[in-house]
Amino acid sequence: MSLSRRDFLRASALSAAATTLGIGSIFGNEAFAKAKIDEADFMQDSKGVQWHKSVCRFCGVGCGVMLGVKDGKPVGIRGDKENTVNSGLLCVKAFYLHQMITAKNRLLYPMIRKNGKLTRATWEEALDLVASKFSEIRDKYGPDALAFYGSGQAETEETYVANKLFKGHIGTNNVEGNPRLCMASAVGGYTTTFGADEPIGTYDDIEKCDLFFIVGSNTAEAHPVLYDRIARRKRQNPNVKIVIVDPRKTPTNKIADLHLQVIPGYDLAIIHAIAKLIIDNGYTDEQFIKDSVNFSDGKNPITYEDYKKFLEKYTPEYAAKQCGVNADDIVKAAKLFGETPRVMTMWCMGVNQRVAGVFLNNLIHNLHLLTGKLGKDGCDSFSLTGQPNACGGVREGGGLCHLLPGHRVVANEQHRKEIAELWNVPAEKIQPKPGKHTVAMFDALGKGEIKGIYILCTNPAQSIPNLNKYLKGMSDAFMVVAESFHPTETSQVADVVLPAAFWGEKEGVYGCTERRSQHMAQALKPSGEARWDGFILADIAKRMGYGNNFEHFTSVEAVWTEYIKSTKGKDMDLTGATFARLKKVRGLRWPVPSEDHPGTTHRFTDGDPYFPKDKAAGKRMYFYTKPDGRATIFARPDKGPEEPTSAEYPIALTTGRIMEQWHTMTMTGQVPELVRAAPNPYVEINPEDAKEWGVKTRDKVRMVTKRGSLIVEAKVVDRPRKGTIFVPWHWPESLTNILTIDAVDPGSKEPEYKVAACRVEKA
Amino acid sequence: MKKFYLALLIIIAAVVVSYGFIGAQQSQGDKHPDVDWTLSCQECHSEMTPEVYKDWELSKHGDVDFGCYICHGDGQEVFYPKGTDERCGGCHAAQLVEFEKTKFNSCYDCHNGHTLKFHNE
Repeated sequence: MSLSRRDFLRASALSAAATTLGIGSIFGNEAFAKAKIDEADFMQDSKGVQWHKSVCRFCGVGCGVMLGVKDGKPVGIRGDKENTVNSGLLCVKAFYLHQMITAKNRLLYPMIRKNGKLTRATWEEALDLVASKFSEIRDKYGPDALAFYGSGQAETEETYVANKLFKGHIGTNNVEGNPRLCMASAVGGYTTTFGADEPIGTYDDIEKCDLFFIVGSNTAEAHPVLYDRIARRKRQNPNVKIVIVDPRKTPTNKIADLHLQVIPGYDLAIIHAIAKLIIDNGYTDEQFIKDSVNFSDGKNPITYEDYKKFLEKYTPEYAAKQCGVNADDIVKAAKLFGETPRVMTMWCMGVNQRVAGVFLNNLIHNLHLLTGKLGKDGCDSFSLTGQPNACGGVREGGGLCHLLPGHRVVANEQHRKEIAELWNVPAEKIQPKPGKHTVAMFDALGKGEIKGIYILCTNPAQSIPNLNKYLKGMSDAFMVVAESFHPTETSQVADVVLPAAFWGEKEGVYGCTERRSQHMAQALKPSGEARWDGFILADIAKRMGYGNNFEHFTSVEAVWTEYIKSTKGKDMDLTGATFARLKKVRGLRWPVPSEDHPGTTHRFTDGDPYFPKDKAAGKRMYFYTKPDGRATIFARPDKGPEEPTSAEYPIALTTGRIMEQWHTMTMTGQVPELVRAAPNPYVEINPEDAKEWGVKTRDKVRMVTKRGSLIVEAKVVDRPRKGTIFVPWHWPESLTNILTIDAVDPGSKEPEYKVAACRVEKA
Repeated sequence: MKKFYLALLIIIAAVVVSYGFIGAQQSQGDKHPDVDWTLSCQECHSEMTPEVYKDWELSKHGDVDFGCYICHGDGQEVFYPKGTDERCGGCHAAQLVEFEKTKFNSCYDCHNGHTLKFHNE
C-alpha cells in the first residue's frame, strides 16, 4: 500500500484529536443535526433531501422514522429522534424500509386470471370484474358467501373503508384480519378482565419499572427497540431485575436474572403458583382488592376465599412438575414480583398463540390485580403487539368478525344503531351475529360456503396454520388480492391482483401498542399504477351500488375524520386526534377527547379524562368499562396444549420469528443484507437431542406432524429446551405452517401456533 | 540528506503505526471474495476473522445481534468494505453529526468500526 506523508499526518492528527477530545466535546454543541418539524410534515436538509415524518412499517412498537426523498425517489431512512418511542433508534428491518419501496417484486399494475394465467389488465377491467363477481355472489348466495380478510399492517382508514363496505353495505360480518392470528387472545384477556381492550399504561412506564416479567416474548428479536429501552433501564439501574418465562433461551436472556424454561404449553400453573405465593406471603394490596376487584370462576362470581381455595393445589412443587422447571425458581419469581414495588409484565405470541391464550392473559392480569401494580408509574400488565396497526386499525377500528369501530361489538343493538347511523345505513343492515373467524373463514372457503373473498395486505397462503387443509379452498374460491408485492404465496393463486400503494406512497394513521395513533406522511407518488387501498375499496363500493356513502371519501383525511366520530365518548376517544394535529405531533395516546387534550398515560385512574371521580369515591382505580367499576380476577384451569407430545410424536414443535425477517418475507426477503443474516430455513435443536439423534448443524432433518412434513437444515444450539424444536416460519420455499395445528382458543379463536407434537428424523 | 532520511522514517512510521487505522480498510478491495453464500456473515467470519468477530461480538451491535451486513452489506450484491456515515446515521439519528461544524470527517474518526468504542478507550 502507499501512504503519503499527508495521509500519515492527517491520520495522526485525527487519532490525536479523537483521543484528546473524545466525544465529550461534540455532545451538546450545534454539530448534531436537527430533525425538528414544526408545521410541515417534512424537513429539508442541506443536500436537498426532504425527510418525511412517518412510522415504521414493521412490528407494533411504533418507532418514528424519517423517509428521505430526493427528486421523487426514496434515498434514505433515519430514526425520528423527536419521537419518544425510539428517540431516533431503529432496528435492522426499519433500516432498509426505503429499499422496499423500489423492490423488484413491487406489483405495478392490475392482473386478472385468464385461461389459468394472471394477465395484465386495466383498472377498469379489474374493478368491474371484482364488483360484478361480488354482486353476483351476493345476489345468488347471500352476503355471507362473501368475506374480507385484512391486516394489522393496513392503515386504520383502509380497514375502516373495508369494514363499512362489508359489514354496513354488503351486509356480512365475515370481516377478519390477521391480528386474529396474533393478538386476539390479548383482546380476550383485556376485555374479560378489565372490560376494555388494550393496555392501561404506556412505554413511559419502562423507565420507571424495577422488575420486568417477560412471558412468551423474545423481545430482543421481535421488538428490538423496546428491548433496547428495557436493557438501558437495567444498565442504568443495576437493581432492576428481569424474569423470563419461555421454552427457549433467546437473545433476550442476555439481560435476564432468572429464566423459567417451561415445557411449551404448560406455563399456566406457574402463574397460578406465583399468585398463591403472593397471597401466602402477604404481598397483596388488600385495599386495592377490596376497592377494585371481583372474582370469577369464568362462569359465576366467586369470593376471594373461593379463589384462595382454588389456588391451594398450585404449590411451587406442583407447578414445577407441570411446567418442567425448579420449584425454587418459581418461589424466587414470586418473591421478586411481590417485593418489587414497580412491575411490568410483558408478553407476546408465546402467550397469545395458544388454545389457553385468553386464560393465560387473564392469569397475568391476576398478578397485577392482586398486588395493585397497575395504573401507576412503572407498573402495567402490558401486551406487546406484533404488527404496526393491529391495535389501531383492527382492534380499535373493529376489523374482526365480532367487532364494530370504536371498541363496539356487533352483538350489541345500541352499538349497531350508532354505527349504522354513522354509515348512513339501516341498523338492520348490520347483522347481530358475529361472522366467521379466520380459521372458520378459510374452512368455509374450502367447503364452498364462502365463494368470494377480498384479501388486503396479507399472505394467508403462507400464514394460516395447517396449510394443506386450506390451500385448495383459496384456489377454488373467487379470490381478490390487494397487495404491493407479487408474487406472494397468496397472490399466485388469486383470480384478481390489485396493485396497492406501499408505505411512503400513501398517508394514513397507525396505532401502536401503547394506544398511540401516529400519522404517516405520503412522501412519494405510488409506483406504477398502484393506488391507495381505501380508494380501491371505495371504487368497488360504488360499482356495487353503494356509491352514496363512499363518494365523500376523496382523501385519507376524509376517512379518518369520519372514523374518529365513532370514538367520541368511548374509552378509546380519538376526537382530539384530528388529522391536522396528528401531522404535527409524534402521535397521541387515547383517550384524547379534545384538541387541547395531551393524551393519557394511565387509564382508569386520575389523569384519565373518563375517570369518574364521583363513582370512584376515593378509590385509586375505577374500571369504568365494567358495570361496577371492578376488574375481574379469574380462577381459570391450567389447561395444556391441544396436542400434547406422544410416543409417536415425542417432540414439542414451536414456531416464531427471527429479528431480520418479517412474517412471510414479502418485504424483508427483498433486502440482500437481511437475507444474508439467515440465508436458509432451519430448525433449532437442543444439543442433547441432536446428540441422541446423531444430527449436526447443517444436516438435513425431516420434521413430521399429524398434518405434514418438512425438511430443513438443523441448527444445533442451546436455545430450545430438550425435547423441543423451534422453527422460524418466514421462508416461502419452506412452509412451516404445513406442520402447525389449526386448533383455536375457544374464546379468542386464535390458533395454537406455539405448540404441536412432532417427530424429527435425519433426512 | 538528513531531511530525506527523516521523511523516510516518518513514512515508515506511518505504515507501521497507522496500518490498522487506515490500511486494513484499503487493502480489502472493492469486492468480497467469492465464498459459500449459503452461510451467514457470522458463521463464516467467526472462523475466518476471529479477532474482528470477537470485537463485533463484544460490541453493542454484537450484543443485539445486528450483524456485519448492517455496515458492510450482504457481501454479494452489496458490499461496503468500510462502513459509511450515512449508514450509521440511519439507525443513530440522534447522534447524526454535521461534520462541517467539527474537526472531524467521519463517525469512524472517533469510533472503531467493530468495537464501536472511541479510539481512546
